[in-house]
Amino acid sequence: MKKETENTNQNNFLKGGFKDDISKHHKASLGITVPEGYFSKSKRSIIDKIEEEVVTEVPTEMKKPLIFWLRPQFKFMAAASLVFILTLTFWLQSANNRDVDKSTIEFLSFSDDNLINALIGNDNEFEAFADAILINEIVIKAELSEQKMDDLFFNSLFVEDSLIDNYTDDQFLETIIL
Amino acid sequence: MSKDEELVKKLKDPTQKEKAFSELLDVYQERLYWHIRKIVTTHENADDVLQNTFVRIYKSILKFEEKSSLHTWMYRIAYNESIRFLEKNNKKSHRNIDEVPTSNLQVLFEDAYFDGDEVHKKLHKIIAGLKEKQKRIFHMKYFEDISFRQMSEILETSESTLKSTYYSVVKIIEKKIFL
Repeated sequence: MKKETENTNQNNFLKGGFKDDISKHHKASLGITVPEGYFSKSKRSIIDKIEEEVVTEVPTEMKKPLIFWLRPQFKFMAAASLVFILTLTFWLQSANNRDVDKSTIEFLSFSDDNLINALIGNDNEFEAFADAILINEIVIKAELSEQKMDDLFFNSLFVEDSLIDNYTDDQFLETIIL
Repeated sequence: MSKDEELVKKLKDPTQKEKAFSELLDVYQERLYWHIRKIVTTHENADDVLQNTFVRIYKSILKFEEKSSLHTWMYRIAYNESIRFLEKNNKKSHRNIDEVPTSNLQVLFEDAYFDGDEVHKKLHKIIAGLKEKQKRIFHMKYFEDISFRQMSEILETSESTLKSTYYSVVKIIEKKIFL
């Protein structure tokens, strides 16, 4: 390119283009060079680098089991714990189910018996049973709860009176006098 | 079957891969080096990127689906590796993208493998002032003698656009170099 510019032929500048040797062309046009014998050395170093990378890739794969949570001992421990937890869960679940089933069956059989007995039994017996249940269970319980309510009511009256007394003693007289 | 197609076939065959790769290096190493060198500026950087490019080519040859030519595919890899290298370097040195062309020129002129004169320096400065795509088109055509058809494959741009861009860039350079 220097020669071309020296000729000052502006029309021919950049018309030379690429000839055979790409490196010579770059040197002539841009002034950039490469070390001598670079490309033969570079070829060797590229091949070496590839071999190196291919070899180093295998050990990285082998290293994987060294990670703590992938170690064989840990794997067995984790598997055993998992099996134990699952077994325990199933066992507890089935034990609970057994209890529920038992009580449900007992309750159902009891209620069935009562219904059947009620249908088969005498009216007098049924009335006597109903009276006993009504008097013992319902009426008495109702009376007891009513009594409790009364107690609460009376108690509240007393409490309120005492509070009023306190108020009249402490606050009311003070406010009137002052 | 073209030479490149034969080469790809051999590269995909494990029994012939090593020999074919050596052939591939003989054919394309120098061309790719110069393609990379103009992007990454110095010889040292170009050497690193060239090695990475061929390692990538070697590793991913089985993934090459031959939708484009081998030549196009390798140029794309070389370009991507160069850009990756520049981005990595810019991050390391915390440089602003706008500062890069000027600092690249400084680095180039100080490089041990630059022995250009004032005209060469002036040409470098003019090229550095071009838009990125104009620069690439000019480099590929003028310095690497890549046909417009191949270039359209690599840059995914129509041949007519490439031709008009190239000739307009040549005119710009010719005009500026004699100012």
